[in-house]
Amino acid sequence: MLVLNRSIGTQRLLLYGMLVALAGFYLLPIETGLMTSIKTNPLSTAPFLPPGPDGLTLDKWNTAFSQLSTGLINSIVLAVPATVFSALFGSMAAYGLTTLNWRGQLPILVLFIAGIFIPYQAVLIPLSKFWAVYVPLDELLAALWGLPLLEPYHGDLLALIISHVAYGIPITTLLFRTYYRNFSEEMIAAAQLDGATPARIYWRIMLPLSVPMFAVTLIYQFTQVWNDLLFALVVMGPSEGAPVTVPLSQLGASLSEIGFGVRMAGAFIAALPTIIVYIIFGEQFAKGVAT
Amino acid sequence: MATLELDHVTKGFDDGDETIIAVDDVSMTIDDGEFLVLVGPSGCGKSTTLRMMAGLETVSTGALRLDDEVINDVKPKDREVAMVFQSYALYPHMTVSGNMRFGLEESTDMSDERIQSRVTETAALLDIDALLDRKPAELSGGQQQRVALGRAIVRDPQVFLMDEPLSNLDAKLRSDMRTELQRLQEDLGTTTVYVTHDQTEAMTMGDRIAILNDGRLQQVATPLEAYHRPANRFVAGFIGEPSMNFFEMDVQGEQLIHSTTQSQPHEDTVTYPLPQDARHAVADGTQVTLGVRPASIEVTQAPGPVEFVSKVSADHDFEAVVDVVEPMGNENNVHLSFSEKNHTTFVATTDGESNVATGQSVIAHIPESAIHLFDGDTGEALYNRSHTDTEAVESVQ
Repeated sequence: MLVLNRSIGTQRLLLYGMLVALAGFYLLPIETGLMTSIKTNPLSTAPFLPPGPDGLTLDKWNTAFSQLSTGLINSIVLAVPATVFSALFGSMAAYGLTTLNWRGQLPILVLFIAGIFIPYQAVLIPLSKFWAVYVPLDELLAALWGLPLLEPYHGDLLALIISHVAYGIPITTLLFRTYYRNFSEEMIAAAQLDGATPARIYWRIMLPLSVPMFAVTLIYQFTQVWNDLLFALVVMGPSEGAPVTVPLSQLGASLSEIGFGVRMAGAFIAALPTIIVYIIFGEQFAKGVAT
Repeated sequence: MATLELDHVTKGFDDGDETIIAVDDVSMTIDDGEFLVLVGPSGCGKSTTLRMMAGLETVSTGALRLDDEVINDVKPKDREVAMVFQSYALYPHMTVSGNMRFGLEESTDMSDERIQSRVTETAALLDIDALLDRKPAELSGGQQQRVALGRAIVRDPQVFLMDEPLSNLDAKLRSDMRTELQRLQEDLGTTTVYVTHDQTEAMTMGDRIAILNDGRLQQVATPLEAYHRPANRFVAGFIGEPSMNFFEMDVQGEQLIHSTTQSQPHEDTVTYPLPQDARHAVADGTQVTLGVRPASIEVTQAPGPVEFVSKVSADHDFEAVVDVVEPMGNENNVHLSFSEKNHTTFVATTDGESNVATGQSVIAHIPESAIHLFDGDTGEALYNRSHTDTEAVESVQ
């Protein structure tokens, strides 16, 4: 008995040793970035070592934050509606294409699926032309910019929101479709016989049961939209309304130094919201992925 | 309350270039307040028929009438039918009360109080009033079944449609629910169509049963009529447990000859005399199927060690060997074969007290009054068991 216990003890020890080593391995880059961002001179010691007593500074964080703050607000104004609407529309489309039956739904589904495979790069020029020439939202909605809190650059942001929603719908539709296929066909039939219209069935049955899949699509889409640089550059460039990724890419660039510290601090600031979103929806996300 | 009528209803599904016929020209009328059981093997079209009644499937050709009004194109939600599904199909995110309210909220403009009182009333009827605030996942299978029933009853529909509602319950609960369902239906008096593959449910529950096979309606009759006077061989084999025994026979004059090998007719033939009153029904030289229910075969122990000769003294007695005995308590299902030369097996039901063991030689008596004859090709019933029985059955009805 004693021998058995000891052998289990050794195994446990090995297991935990391995886990700690792996955790260290994955956390090391983050730790290195954090240390670099709070040193007065990032190149004075090895990057992962903590700063000495006189070398500690929060200046880099201050600089990064002041330069990124407008971008952060723009990113939130962009990412929240873009995420919510692409998830919502994806769920509606999936309901219509999966649960309901109607003639000709297959070709339409194929169009949706094909949308997943269109690379960003392929639509850049049409996209910029579309918003700049054919649908210049800042001009079309000129009457709105007089309202409090609204600025002309919000037109560009709206264009970016619509672009991201449109680009997100195919993948969210596919995710919701997979989820809805597992719904009991008899349950939907029961709701039909109970007198519910398709819209009511969506609202009272499908939507409440979709929470786990909403967590998945919200996290996925939020990360996608938040981290996107390409669409932002094409639709508006480095302007007043640009999301955080645009100023982040220019942060710390100067002729005299590389600005590692500021860049690291900026990266942390820009990444924080995605981590928060993951923590908020984490439990539901796990449920959604498991199905 | 309503009468539901199927008038030459056919349902075909497109499968590429060809059409698969799931329900083929079915006509029947379900009377007001009647409990009709639609029974048949898997894939016979019974569920499709029910789904057409519900409006979940379209009718390809033919007419579906509710109280003389054609409802082919009426949407499910406007049909005033309620359905109970095999999987119960409860809404998992709603409480029991929410599940039962849903239909009334969606299909009527009743006030909240009215809905609540209807739900409470129905819940009390089904003995689920203590569960009203629970979610389906917190209920046992039997309780979920009751909620599914409650969801249908609370709407007070014209017709109940039930799609194998008891098949997910364990055997004990199933037989309890069977009785309860019958009692409920009798109290409510609502026209009910009940689909099942279980012939016991069909026999015990239905006012009438409709037997389907391969999408075709075989017979609509009272349970006893279907049992005693099956329209064809399929019905005869499907209704009754254990199944009716069938023997392929050649009609030769006044004899029915059963033989497994043609070359040595004397060693393995079984001969059964054609009953007097059946002679007009079968033509000489044709092939027929002789059917006899296990319960009609009388098994007596052989008087002693005898030679295996197929035909013994009396015309209706046959030498047989016991293959397997299945004790059921009150009775035994005895599997028999004629002899070592003729391996045709058949089943007889004997008294549970009787002492028969595997390998034993017995004498099986097949009384003339208990036999059915079916056409060898079409399976149509040519002759059903003697009239005294059926007359007794008819007077019971």
